[in-house]
Amino acid sequence: MPDVPSTRLVYDALLITSLDDAYKPATGPRVTGLGIGAALLAELVLSQHLAVWTAKGVDRVCLDERYRPPEDSLALWLAEHVRAERTSLAVRDWLDFLAAADVYTKTAEHMAMHGFMVRREYRSRWLKRVEVGFEPSDPLIANAVFARLRRHLSISERAIAVEDAFLLALTEAVGLSKPLYHQLPSGARVYAGKRRQALPAALRALLAHLAAAVADIAITGGR
Amino acid sequence: MPTPSSPPSAVRAVLARDKLGTFSLLHFSLTAATPLTVIAGGVVVMFAIAGQTGIPLGYVIIAVCLWLFSVGYTTMSRHITNAGAFYAFIARGIGRVPGVAAAWVAATAYCAMQISLYGLLGLTARSVLSRMGADVPWWGCALAAWLLIGLLGTRAVDINAKVLAVLLVVEIAVILLFSASNFVNAADGLPFGVLSPNQLGGEAAGAMLALAVTGFIGFESPTVYGEEAKDRRRTVARATVATVGILAFIYIFSSWSIITAVGEDGVVAAATDDPGLMFTLAGDQLGAPWATIGEVLLLTSVTAAALSFHNTTARYLFALGRERVAPAWLGRTSPRTSSPSAASITQTVISGLVLVTWVALDLDPLVHLFFYMSTSAGIGLLALIAACAIAVVVYFARDRRGESIWAARIAPALSVFALVWVLYLSVLHFHTLLGVEKGSTLPVLVPILFAGLAVLGAAWGAYLKRCRPEVYAGIGHGAKAALVTETAEPVGVAGGR
Repeated sequence: MPDVPSTRLVYDALLITSLDDAYKPATGPRVTGLGIGAALLAELVLSQHLAVWTAKGVDRVCLDERYRPPEDSLALWLAEHVRAERTSLAVRDWLDFLAAADVYTKTAEHMAMHGFMVRREYRSRWLKRVEVGFEPSDPLIANAVFARLRRHLSISERAIAVEDAFLLALTEAVGLSKPLYHQLPSGARVYAGKRRQALPAALRALLAHLAAAVADIAITGGR
Repeated sequence: MPTPSSPPSAVRAVLARDKLGTFSLLHFSLTAATPLTVIAGGVVVMFAIAGQTGIPLGYVIIAVCLWLFSVGYTTMSRHITNAGAFYAFIARGIGRVPGVAAAWVAATAYCAMQISLYGLLGLTARSVLSRMGADVPWWGCALAAWLLIGLLGTRAVDINAKVLAVLLVVEIAVILLFSASNFVNAADGLPFGVLSPNQLGGEAAGAMLALAVTGFIGFESPTVYGEEAKDRRRTVARATVATVGILAFIYIFSSWSIITAVGEDGVVAAATDDPGLMFTLAGDQLGAPWATIGEVLLLTSVTAAALSFHNTTARYLFALGRERVAPAWLGRTSPRTSSPSAASITQTVISGLVLVTWVALDLDPLVHLFFYMSTSAGIGLLALIAACAIAVVVYFARDRRGESIWAARIAPALSVFALVWVLYLSVLHFHTLLGVEKGSTLPVLVPILFAGLAVLGAAWGAYLKRCRPEVYAGIGHGAKAALVTETAEPVGVAGGR
């Protein structure tokens, strides 16, 4: 088994959005893709591979001035796509692209390579085809992230990692605020709001675009 | 700029794959309209209550008004976010305070329109069930439909769209068949006299025009998908105008066919005696089973209409919740289905309360629930469209934004004159459609109610401007309100912790 890497924002986003349990539903496929996509972009922004900048009122993604190719294949896949574009595309375009390009499967396969997930094949009798699914290799891994976020909220921890502050806001943006705040003190929302406000502007922009994309799905039906 | 030999962008190729063409947008807008409900439920009633035979001409007038309106409306939609919601246009054109006032009127009018359909739905279902030998009260049927619509409303809208599409195709086929049969079995040749402007005189013309407008609601929906259209400049405009054109053709063709089959002199009396006139004619001409088929299809059509208005109302409430103009919890989505679940449940609860109240007070489902509420909602929606037309004029008065004079100035100005005139006539003649004496309280109450809502909404907007400027900044942006409120600070080149 390969060395277990330190936890990653994009892995955590996948565990939060796509795995359900007794008190937390999984989000719909398109919202899951948007959430994981936002997390992958945020990860590359934090690691100084990508930057978000505003031009003529549009938030765009471009390579960071200090760009060096990421060592990780998942991050490299996205960074190379950004580099291949002749003009910088809008954040919303990247979110839509990542959702459409099945970033969920790419991330899940990546996690499977590192032993966090197990790839399973199911034979569907009705559809007469083999379907691929991913399951966490350990149920504790699946629940750890959400439990960690709720712990931050329940004790209003003063100093939390910027990744966790981002994940708190991401969880709300994808529509999981009800299970996130379930039975927590009323001050938890205020606490999360303050943590979100303290995030770097680029991450706040990503979160705002994620929230807008999820709301658009609710209005247009994701058609 | 990429040269022809440059490699194509993989990202743009994936994004382009998901773009919508004119036919896809047309599908969405036509499924929001339910023509059989308008023809069998609305047109026959208009003959009976308005006592006029100029209904085909009324549809021609409304279609022209909405076509003129659509030119400016689709042009402005290219420049704003949250396109598709009339109040968003008003917020961006006239101002945010009038925008909130319009939002309150819009939410109430759509809500009333949806609830009104439960009256017609209950009666139609009772009639269909009685043919099968079952005796169920109208409210039992209405409550069953209420439960079904409440459940479907919280599901993925994809499922709803497929159901609506199938129903629509069948509906249109049956309407065209019945109408063609009416023309073949003409009582006294083609009645060209009903297309004369003289036919629209008298006390009922305005009220009839108000009801005619409600048949076109849904025509505005292609702008919702503007950002996903293949060509935002042309696709949305084509789909919107095509929707108005197709609906106008169906309404004019079928309403004229009913007059043709019965005869110009007898159609008002026939409609008064028989609310199911369209199906009676079909039964006589094509055979009794067709009357039953028509009635069953009317039931599914009204159900689809109620579902469509339910979704529209829920999306309005959802967008207002996202903007925090209404309580924020209305902006919650269902994690699994991504539908606006909180807003949908709220609409279900409100409609359920109204239904229970109507049953408790033993009010008439056809007159007090369907007629009164739908015509009242029609006045509200007409006022909303007229205000939106004014907003388009004001928006382009400051700056044409590179649009043609026709699209930015002439067509919007003409539509304002036409729609305000129709609104004026509708309010003036409203008593006729309600079937009460001129000078009665009820016809005056409805415009006062909407005016009161607008004043309250404006007061709320003024409060937000003064006390909650961050919420005020997001008014009219709907789903994208977070982009305004969260990214008020320029991002710059950012990336560090």
